[in-house]
Amino acid sequence: MLEVRNISKSFYRKEALNDVSFTVGKGEIFGLLGPNGAGKTTMIRVINRIVESDSGSVRINGDLMVNDDLKQIGYLPEERGLYKNMTVEAHAMFLGRLRGLSKADVNTKIDYWFGRFEINDWRKKRIEQLSKGMAQKVQFICTVLHEPKLLILDEPFSGFDPVNVELIKQELIEMKAAGKTIILSSHNMKSVEEICDRVVLIDKAKKVAEGSIAELQEERKAGLYAVKFRGSMIAFVNALWTGFEVVDKDIHGGDKFTVRLKMRNESSFDDLLKVLIGQVKIESAWEVLPSMQDVFIDIVQPRKENEDEK
Amino acid sequence: MRNSLLIAIREWKARVFSRSFIVMSIIGPIVILALTYLLFVFGDNGKQEWNVLITDPAGIMDGKINSHGSSRVTYSFANDYIEHEDFRDGKAYQEFDAMVEINGKVLQNKVSHVFYRSEPSTRMQTTVHYHVERRLEEVMVGQFTDFSIGEYLKIKQELVLGFHNVYDPYDKATDLRGWVGFSYGALIFVFIFLFGMTILRSVAGEKSNRIVEVLLASVSPNQLMSGKIIGIGLAAIIQFLIWCLFIGLGLYFMRENLFPDMLDPQNVVDQELFASAEYNRFVELIYRGIDYGIMVPFFILFFIVGYLFYGALFSGIGATMGTESDGQQFVIPIIFLLGFGLYSGYYVVNYPESDLAIWFYYLPFTSPVAVMIDLAQSDSPGYETFLSLFILIVSAAIFLKIAGRLYKNGILQFGHRVRLRHIIKWLRRS
Repeated sequence: MLEVRNISKSFYRKEALNDVSFTVGKGEIFGLLGPNGAGKTTMIRVINRIVESDSGSVRINGDLMVNDDLKQIGYLPEERGLYKNMTVEAHAMFLGRLRGLSKADVNTKIDYWFGRFEINDWRKKRIEQLSKGMAQKVQFICTVLHEPKLLILDEPFSGFDPVNVELIKQELIEMKAAGKTIILSSHNMKSVEEICDRVVLIDKAKKVAEGSIAELQEERKAGLYAVKFRGSMIAFVNALWTGFEVVDKDIHGGDKFTVRLKMRNESSFDDLLKVLIGQVKIESAWEVLPSMQDVFIDIVQPRKENEDEK
Repeated sequence: MRNSLLIAIREWKARVFSRSFIVMSIIGPIVILALTYLLFVFGDNGKQEWNVLITDPAGIMDGKINSHGSSRVTYSFANDYIEHEDFRDGKAYQEFDAMVEINGKVLQNKVSHVFYRSEPSTRMQTTVHYHVERRLEEVMVGQFTDFSIGEYLKIKQELVLGFHNVYDPYDKATDLRGWVGFSYGALIFVFIFLFGMTILRSVAGEKSNRIVEVLLASVSPNQLMSGKIIGIGLAAIIQFLIWCLFIGLGLYFMRENLFPDMLDPQNVVDQELFASAEYNRFVELIYRGIDYGIMVPFFILFFIVGYLFYGALFSGIGATMGTESDGQQFVIPIIFLLGFGLYSGYYVVNYPESDLAIWFYYLPFTSPVAVMIDLAQSDSPGYETFLSLFILIVSAAIFLKIAGRLYKNGILQFGHRVRLRHIIKWLRRS
């Protein structure tokens, strides 16, 4: 769907993007991650043709992107604004028409989305009368009103309470199911982990990692396993003997525990299960993968330390 | 084009349906009409009818005075000297509004005094002055000459020495015509300033509330800028038309209902006092002297192109601003610039033949005023008018292009301090 090739961009002497490339497949939710000031927003602006890159190209469906392709994009910037004096309905009409819809089409979409988000009562309210969360909903609706094939959302969850974060997440998952492609930039790693298929991580203007969530977690896993069981802790430790090393444990009360451990020597997950069966009652056992938060910190932190040392 | 139109419509609606626009559309004409009304009223304040006592102990006026048919002033005579304190307090004199003191030496020193109870209007003062002076002139002519009063008035009439430009013997290019043209130019500048500031505030507002990034994902910076200039310009024209309509209706109403005798010589008894030569020239000029068939189309053309020229400047400046408050510091230089434009008009009226006036005629910053003055003074537009308009159009196009660059490169920059080197860099980038 979208192919970003070797994009570089500098603002005067400050390098914002350095030879960044990635590909987003059709129907994918793609995470654009990175610490503050990494160049994510610049990349999003380049894709939206708000900022011209110094070099590189952006292709949509194999063709170099042109202005007309913007109609296929719905963009929700991080720094969002609305005209405070306009009514919610007038605002949606204005932005919908700017994105190429006819008046009748906009009215149909407004009916659908306002009904879906249960905000029909707000139609005639002026934007300045809305709370921040309400305004965020209106902004989200304005972004998707023209049913874009590609959605680019910069920090879409910021400003929302947990209920509305879930609402937006569900919308995104449904849009993905409907074949839409979504690029989202977010610091909310939990949400990224939950809904993104693949991510690219940008740090200090450069791409530092790319892949599916599972791939990135796999690359950075620490060989940790967890076992949730019922029984005696002493029996559990005795059963492990020398083939495994306990890292930490959670006591859930009574005789329920979750223990994280590392393999020693050539021990495998199967060996672990074999030695435990019969000693304790295993409720569940799994390989512990790092969270996206851990992956993020694992990649970014060493680079920051190196930079500080220099 | 469609996007520019949508932006223009939004801007137009945002202005025209805003409370401030509606208030200004009503308050503006009301203020102007109120000022006009006050001018009329204060020019004719005080009592409309006066009962005047003339004390003439020497009998110089012989108990006669011609009020020329005026019902506004009634004269009575007293043959004895009355102290002004007695006039003020005496019961017998309370019915009089004023006392004219004709002393024995009045024919020699031409000094007399009027004591009034409440200050008379200028018009009343002039009326009494005229009546008393005419009567004293009759007495003097009778005493000192063999002339009739008619012959005396002919002798008394001042010499009018008319200075005429040999290239304009019929005085088409009078100062008065020039000032009418200046008024047109000034009107252009007032609206450019009012709505130029609206452009600046609108751009700065969009930058500060970040809506601009949403818009730029759908429209180009040039479309956004031109839509904004066009929309606000249309709102300016609407407001201008509303002002014209309200002021026109208001003046018509005032003339018909409040001051029916104001401009009608039939109703003004002392017409020689009010229908002065200067006044007649002005009325003649306003109603017959100015060729509105030429003035109005060029006024509209220079209004539109001048607005685009300055509008580009305002929007470019708005795009460079880092914070909304930056706008405040730009107001003063912009006022200077527009003030310079108005001054150029003053200069052209006073020194129409000077080299500088010719520069002002072609300089896009000043040409809307200078050309209006020239058109008011000339019969028809010459090639110079079209050349000046052409220069203004080209300059507006160049300014729109420059402003477009500033807009494109500066509109997404927030929270910075405006520095000249940034502006130069933005201008260099395509």
